[in-house]
Amino acid sequence: MRRKIAYVTGIVAVAVAGVVYTLAAGNEPLLGLDLQGGASVVLEPTRTAEPEELDIAVEIIRNRVDGLGVAEPDISTQGSNILVQLPGVDQQQRALDLVGQTAELRFRPVLSVVSEDALASADADEAILELFALTEGGVAADADVVLPQYDDDRNIVLRYQLGPTAVAGDGLEGAVAQFHSFIGWHVAPTFKPGAEGIDLFNNVSRDCHSRVPSCPSGQVAIEMDNEVVSAPTVQADSAFFEPFERSSITISGGFTEQEARDVALVLDYGALPVELEAQESRIVSASLGTDALSAGVLAGLIGLGLVSAYLLIYYRLLGLVAIASLGLSGAMLWTIIAWLGESQGLALTLAGVTGLIVAVGVSVDSNVVYFEHLKEDVRSGRTLRSAVDRAFPVAFSTIVKADFASLIAAAVLYFLTVGQVRGFALYLGLATILDLVATYFFMGPLIGLMSRSSGLYAHPGRFGIPASLARSGAQQPGAAS
Amino acid sequence: MTGWSLGVLGSVYRGEQQIDFPRLWRRALIGSLAAVVVSVASFAIRGADLGIEFEGGTSWEVPAPQVSVAEARDALRGTGAADAKIQTVGVDTIRVRADIEGPDAVDSVRNALAELAGVTTDDVSVTTVGPSWGSEITAKARNALIAFFALIAVYIAARLEWKMAVGALVAVVHDIVVSVGFYSVFQFEITPATVIAFLTIMGYSLYDTIVVYDKVREVVGRVSATGRYTYTEMMNLSLNQVLMRSINTSITSMIPVASMLIIGSFVLGAVTLQEFAVALLVGIVVGTYSSLFVAASVVARMKEREPAYVEIAERIRLRGGDTGGTTRKVAADDAALGEAAAAKRSTAARKPGSVPRAAAGSATGAIPPRPRKKKKR
Repeated sequence: MRRKIAYVTGIVAVAVAGVVYTLAAGNEPLLGLDLQGGASVVLEPTRTAEPEELDIAVEIIRNRVDGLGVAEPDISTQGSNILVQLPGVDQQQRALDLVGQTAELRFRPVLSVVSEDALASADADEAILELFALTEGGVAADADVVLPQYDDDRNIVLRYQLGPTAVAGDGLEGAVAQFHSFIGWHVAPTFKPGAEGIDLFNNVSRDCHSRVPSCPSGQVAIEMDNEVVSAPTVQADSAFFEPFERSSITISGGFTEQEARDVALVLDYGALPVELEAQESRIVSASLGTDALSAGVLAGLIGLGLVSAYLLIYYRLLGLVAIASLGLSGAMLWTIIAWLGESQGLALTLAGVTGLIVAVGVSVDSNVVYFEHLKEDVRSGRTLRSAVDRAFPVAFSTIVKADFASLIAAAVLYFLTVGQVRGFALYLGLATILDLVATYFFMGPLIGLMSRSSGLYAHPGRFGIPASLARSGAQQPGAAS
Repeated sequence: MTGWSLGVLGSVYRGEQQIDFPRLWRRALIGSLAAVVVSVASFAIRGADLGIEFEGGTSWEVPAPQVSVAEARDALRGTGAADAKIQTVGVDTIRVRADIEGPDAVDSVRNALAELAGVTTDDVSVTTVGPSWGSEITAKARNALIAFFALIAVYIAARLEWKMAVGALVAVVHDIVVSVGFYSVFQFEITPATVIAFLTIMGYSLYDTIVVYDKVREVVGRVSATGRYTYTEMMNLSLNQVLMRSINTSITSMIPVASMLIIGSFVLGAVTLQEFAVALLVGIVVGTYSSLFVAASVVARMKEREPAYVEIAERIRLRGGDTGGTTRKVAADDAALGEAAAAKRSTAARKPGSVPRAAAGSATGAIPPRPRKKKKR
């Protein structure tokens, strides 16, 4: 008796404390993309990547996203993949393109150039075609390669035969986008000082200036992600090579303002250590997201209302306990979801909401299992009070068995699947555990206490137990209670 | 309060209604077999309409109340998505699915749709899935399913008994086959939302089945000591005892789902919710059915083969007893046993007529004399 009172007051105190804490800390559930709109992408390395490489990649992507000014980005690794979630971001497609870009920058001496038109013409011979066959697959930094240059419509215009890399992106300190009335939008990188940066660039420029065999064309190609952005010529009009200043180089490739800004942004934070490929990208419009949210909330409320009404009509006071028990686990769930969103950045998605709706069903079921046990015992001749004491352990053992099956399902799904199904599994598991807690510490003891109240004891009808069953075998249709 | 004189409903409420489950099992077997055959055949012949998440490709969604599918197709001519699959989902959402990738192509369709619907580009939702990703997801889901089945089988075998594990798995597989078959027959698109719903179905069905089995074990533990009842009879009693729970649970589970379906999709146009709800509704119905009819009958069939129960069945047959319709007798015994267990408490408050009431009507023949203790092998 005393223990029951302690359980009920204890669990109610925990739930209330949780709600108070959530309100005081201003925690709110973090809504997933499908509930508030935004963009997400799953990036998979094109080769097996070391965990450290993935961590570096996540860091770089985070910097780029911050550079875009996204409010609450969530960038995390999932297995060997990187999951980028950008809630409520504008220009979603641009953002998605930007986060996954490798941004591998290289400066290489140009050995020779041929136009695509010349290659396509009839008099191009086999040897030339072979010489200018594009390098496929891994483009080695320290070998000769053939790379294309594209026009705005992504058609190849020129093919460059290039020597080994002279300077790579790690020779840069940073980059900015600039506008010049003559060359338009361009990117102005700043090289690192000395042998790490500017010296390397000046070495290759000097070679090209004097047209040595390693740079017969006099051009230095700027290569980004295995294509040539531009290949400016080092002018040979003066006899002596004048070394470049660290920030006197510009990269102009017929950029629009946005392109220039994007290139500067990715150069600023450096290249990803591993090439990533977008496997799944989603853009959810804000209106669709909020529609889904309000529809889900409305449906949930109406559903809950109807379930409550049904429980009340069918089980009377027991129904009231079931509703209170639902409310209790709901309050604890709210606390946990809000805390997860605030401190772990774990968002509640539509799939998660479905998991919760399922859990409502499971939770109501736990109550129904017990109530039906109670009725069964009363039917077979027990008083309400003795039925309550006997039925709860039996029913709880059933509930534990069944809830455990739900937990196994949730755990398997959480650990073995990806994406939406995981969110579903997490919230299903969470709600199932809370169901067990609410059943054991709240619903059971409370009904035990109620059965001792003399007013209820005399009126089993208030427990939704037909009076005719509880008191006599005679059919008493319309037995008033 | 209210008079509970609602005929059958009232007697179910009071637990007086006795349904002869073993007879229904025979019909259910035919029904289930037919449903499984139709499902498998449909899946084999027509296949399922898999969403882009499984096959790769791009899908666009835009709210466009005044736009028909034909108009959408016209608008997409020249964007590379002219042969796309275009449909209206929910109430007013146009969904386009095409096998194209690449930011530029995706954007051009997006712009065309935005223009068509008279909204900004940001109002068009886009999902792109690489082809290898889809198969990876599918493989992961399959592995998860296998692991799940194995773990559940071990769990039920350990907590209950292995024959029940077999019964539960048969029931769950039955549910999934029939649900997928439903999707195949009506060519509804299978999306991740649908898969989640199917997983939910498994959860519901399993929960239901375990509750039934636990009741069976409880009843068998109490009644089988008399050695007078076949397993099927005890199963029948258990099912009648959990029937109200099953009905109530199904109703309370269906209410939120139905409101999700009606409010969520038909009124406000949230497509994903609608997809969830349809699959869930199908699954709850199938899952409740399979717990009472498939899971129970599989275990009963297996248990009746056990020597102990073969012997009991033989004895009853020799006496010329009929093995069906004896539920009430079992119920009476069960009640009497419950009585004995609770004998120490006062019975003064109760009229003495309560136990025979449960037995009345079925115990037409007098309770047969105790069988001789003649071991017959």
